Amino acid sequence: MPEPDRSRWHPIAASHDLPFRHVYHAQLLGREFAVWRADDGYVNVWENRCLHRGVRLSIGMNDGRELKCQYHGWRYANRTAGCTYIPAHPADAPARTITNRTFPAVERYGLVWSAEEPVGEVPALAGVTEGRQLVLRGIPVNAAAEDVAERLRSYRFQPNGALDGKDAEVALEAASDTSVALRSREAGADTLAVFFVQPVDAGRSVIRGVLDDDAEGPQRIAVMRHHNRLLSKLRDEAEREAAGKPAPASIEPVYERVSAELAEMPEVTPHGRKAALRVEVARKFAAADGIAGFELRPIKGLLPTFQPGAHIDVHMPNGEIRQYSITNGPGESASYVIGVKLEPDSKGGSKCMHETVREGDVLAISEPRNNFPLRRDALKTLFIAGGIGITPLLAMAQALQNQRLAFELHYFAQNESQMAFRDRLAALGSSLRPHLGLDPAATGAELRRLLHGYEAGRQVYLCGPGPMLEAARSIAAELGWPDSSVHFEYFKNTNTIDDSSSFEVALARSVMTLQVPAGRTILEVIRENGIEMPSSCEQGACGTCLCTVIEGEPDHQDVYLNDAERRAGTKILTCVSRSKSPRLVLDL
Amino acid sequence: MITLYDYELSGNCYKLRLLMSMLGVKYKAVPVDFYPGREHKSEWFLAINPLGQLPVIEDDGLILRDAQAILVYLAARYDPSKKWYPVDDPKMLGEIGQWLAFADGITSTSSAARLHDGLFYDFDVDAARAGAHRLFRILDEHLWFGEQEGREWICSAPHPTVADIACFPYIMLSEEGGIPRQDYSAIRRWCDRVKRIDGFVVMSGVFPASPARAA
Amino acid sequence: MTKCTDRVVLDLWHPLQAIAEMPAGRVHETVLLEERLGFARDEAGNAAVWRARPDLRADDAVDIAAVNDRLPAKVAYGYVWSSLGNPPADIFPIPEFAEPDRRRLNAATMGVNVSAPRAIENFLDMGHFPYVHTDILGAEPHTEVKEYDVEVSADRDEILATRCRFFQPMASTVSTGGADVEYVYRVPHPFCSVLYKSSPADEKRMDVIAIFIQPVDQEHIRAHMMLCVLDFDNEDKIIKRFQQTIFGQDKPILENQFPKRLPLDPRAETPIRADKSAIAYRRWLSQKGLTYGVIPAAA
Repeated sequence: MPEPDRSRWHPIAASHDLPFRHVYHAQLLGREFAVWRADDGYVNVWENRCLHRGVRLSIGMNDGRELKCQYHGWRYANRTAGCTYIPAHPADAPARTITNRTFPAVERYGLVWSAEEPVGEVPALAGVTEGRQLVLRGIPVNAAAEDVAERLRSYRFQPNGALDGKDAEVALEAASDTSVALRSREAGADTLAVFFVQPVDAGRSVIRGVLDDDAEGPQRIAVMRHHNRLLSKLRDEAEREAAGKPAPASIEPVYERVSAELAEMPEVTPHGRKAALRVEVARKFAAADGIAGFELRPIKGLLPTFQPGAHIDVHMPNGEIRQYSITNGPGESASYVIGVKLEPDSKGGSKCMHETVREGDVLAISEPRNNFPLRRDALKTLFIAGGIGITPLLAMAQALQNQRLAFELHYFAQNESQMAFRDRLAALGSSLRPHLGLDPAATGAELRRLLHGYEAGRQVYLCGPGPMLEAARSIAAELGWPDSSVHFEYFKNTNTIDDSSSFEVALARSVMTLQVPAGRTILEVIRENGIEMPSSCEQGACGTCLCTVIEGEPDHQDVYLNDAERRAGTKILTCVSRSKSPRLVLDL
Repeated sequence: MITLYDYELSGNCYKLRLLMSMLGVKYKAVPVDFYPGREHKSEWFLAINPLGQLPVIEDDGLILRDAQAILVYLAARYDPSKKWYPVDDPKMLGEIGQWLAFADGITSTSSAARLHDGLFYDFDVDAARAGAHRLFRILDEHLWFGEQEGREWICSAPHPTVADIACFPYIMLSEEGGIPRQDYSAIRRWCDRVKRIDGFVVMSGVFPASPARAA
Repeated sequence: MTKCTDRVVLDLWHPLQAIAEMPAGRVHETVLLEERLGFARDEAGNAAVWRARPDLRADDAVDIAAVNDRLPAKVAYGYVWSSLGNPPADIFPIPEFAEPDRRRLNAATMGVNVSAPRAIENFLDMGHFPYVHTDILGAEPHTEVKEYDVEVSADRDEILATRCRFFQPMASTVSTGGADVEYVYRVPHPFCSVLYKSSPADEKRMDVIAIFIQPVDQEHIRAHMMLCVLDFDNEDKIIKRFQQTIFGQDKPILENQFPKRLPLDPRAETPIRADKSAIAYRRWLSQKGLTYGVIPAAA
């Protein structure tokens, strides 16, 4: 058979085939699709194959926000099809380039249309008004699409208004090798029927019919039964004829290879401090007293996949760059929502966001980066947020809530009006525990109560002002929490950086030895010498410029590493930390 | 307590495990080594069921064979809501009886194909598969028009009945007999609905559904 | 599909049937590498295998001593094995099989619509326990595959994965809670794997569970499951039921994998650290030049 035309739009399902929380199994020209509607209404058309081990995603689960593979529980996000969680490695954030192959999806005339490499738009149906059509039951046929389409040219049916008649005059209005438009008239009644034959595989197809007039009540069912009966008869005849011919060979789909970097162990890919995306401020709103919420939508295409705990760099109109956590729940992939607190001593970051940036403005942002990954293998997870520190923890709490995993979100704030994103908080129900108006001493006592009684299988995530984090970390350590179960993110590094030392840095993989003089950072020096290194906050808080130390004694000045990691001396944040030994060997 | 003579991989035994779980009825399972041991053809089992078939239950002195018959008995006796087998509604009993017979047809086609492919039974697998497809087409059409008319289950009651339980297992297991369900979109949606009934349990070869969207 | 031309696979020993399920002196039939074979055993436990012929049909009485033109045949680990090529003298060793206090059984032989290497790879995999064997071999949220070691033993030409641990709910009959269970995996044959698992009955020893795959064709197998366990309490059928339940859960996964043949191109799928043993297995098959049941990497 000739090479199929992969540029043409075909219906692959009816809209009514996609109820919420269902995965529809579709196929077009030999290629299978897993088709699912997210709770926000978005229709996803994906290659029906988990990238990990090739298992059909159509046997997986649609939880309304993500599709979960049945084999290893990998989770793929609504819209982007990016993998957000790999349960076998709960401590790691999956490389965000693990993205399933997606295909376009357009809902029109009650049908879902797709194609491998579509050209142009979904065809407009002359005589059919969007929203007023009646979609017939799809009829699968074990016969080639072109043979079925040929048969449909002589299909005879009654118009909706004269179902009981038998002498309708049927005229062929238009036809192609996979579609037929017919008009039936009798006694003043007049119905246009358009049929598309979806080429499923070489010898299999589905007849999808649309009528120009939606009937109501029992009449509607009668019309659908009328066509169902006639089309079933047509199907039986087409199948009898096809059975008499040799069965055509199935069309073998070609699966795209995964990228070379993913064929190795997935690592977070290096990116510089780049603004890769342009977004529009779709909404600016008061998230709480003193906290502005921003909903950022892509100018074109889709936003990249994010994971709970991820942040973006926002490049502001005044040239400043600031990091903000994404607060979205899983699968909310149409926009990013961030919260910005107006800092009284703002050097221009939060002030600019609050005072200058308006709805409709375009901002440049980085891809999301996750240095605060969420484990989902805890028996119970505690989130402890102070003030604006709620933002990453809110995303995390929503992810656990969606998976029905046990957690408590403790939110320390001055008063109720300072609690941000109240609609999202409300959806967390009794898992949200506000602690309002506590002074530092009372906060400490409350933290002590919350962290009391550590048991294996618990994890705590902390985010908030520096003094509160310091207190919480030391209380946790005192109460027996191992470092590996205490996760934290500082907004900023308030330590005074001592950059007076000078030392030598050897880059093991690049075979390079560089001098770091007083007043310069390791990050600056290696970049000047052509080594690409990702970074974000550049003040030792976010963890993006983390690097492995092979030899030498780091002089840690960051607030990202925990005490065990500091003692181990095998990691360094190159934007602020330095060397105590005259020479430091890095795995770069 | 009810005793169920049970084989884990049998869809017919699963029908009873499913209904008893949904009804919250406790039972004791006595494993029968159907494969490879052919214990259902052993002397001791033939004394219980001369047909040499699973499942069989013993309850209160009653020995009962045949999955569909046992579903009827369990629902009639243990479902105080009288929904699963509405003993006072003759029309519904007629509908249920019709679909229980249909479920027997699914067993003799879809289950036969699965036994051929998985456990090497000497059956005409092409005939079994063709027969299953013929039944699935009829059921899919029935369920599709049901959705259009606001009916979610096999019978016209606004809730599931033993007919749904009787048809479900060998539809869900059909792919093990080389019978894909890709063409039966209404059946696939109905399978999700069955999996969301309170008390649903899985068997080997059947995965659970995601939770339904909150209303 | 063409019949097998893969020299590596032709020269292997392949399992055909559990000896315990073969009445003596009767003809049995099966398919190996797309060839129909007849086979039988005598009362003494000797086996003979031949290419199917019209004068010896299934269930016919047969005296195996009188059968000419035989294929290589061997009885090992409770199964009849044969080969369509020139097999080595011995089948890989499982020393524990000889320990007198072990229970030795065929849990089942089952047909699966998948290639032999896909089935072996699944057998080596732990990450799926909470999702496929829910509440039996694993349970959410205990999903982590902890670091383990994999080596290809050069002298034995087999893959060995050690220090494998996975959280199992109700890990033993004596405690109610879950615990990490230890596993060792061997792949001593391209289509056979042997698993050692901490024994609930004897903390110093391990149960042995092996899977011997009979490739019917490139995309269909018969999986023979051999158990060699320390269990002094349960009836055979209880032990078999457990293993059949597990395998029955794997079956729909295997039958929904695409492509059905195992792709050896490293860029065909996306491995993670937990898949170290699978990566080693794919590489090992590639290095052997094996082509049957796989999609070889482009040269």
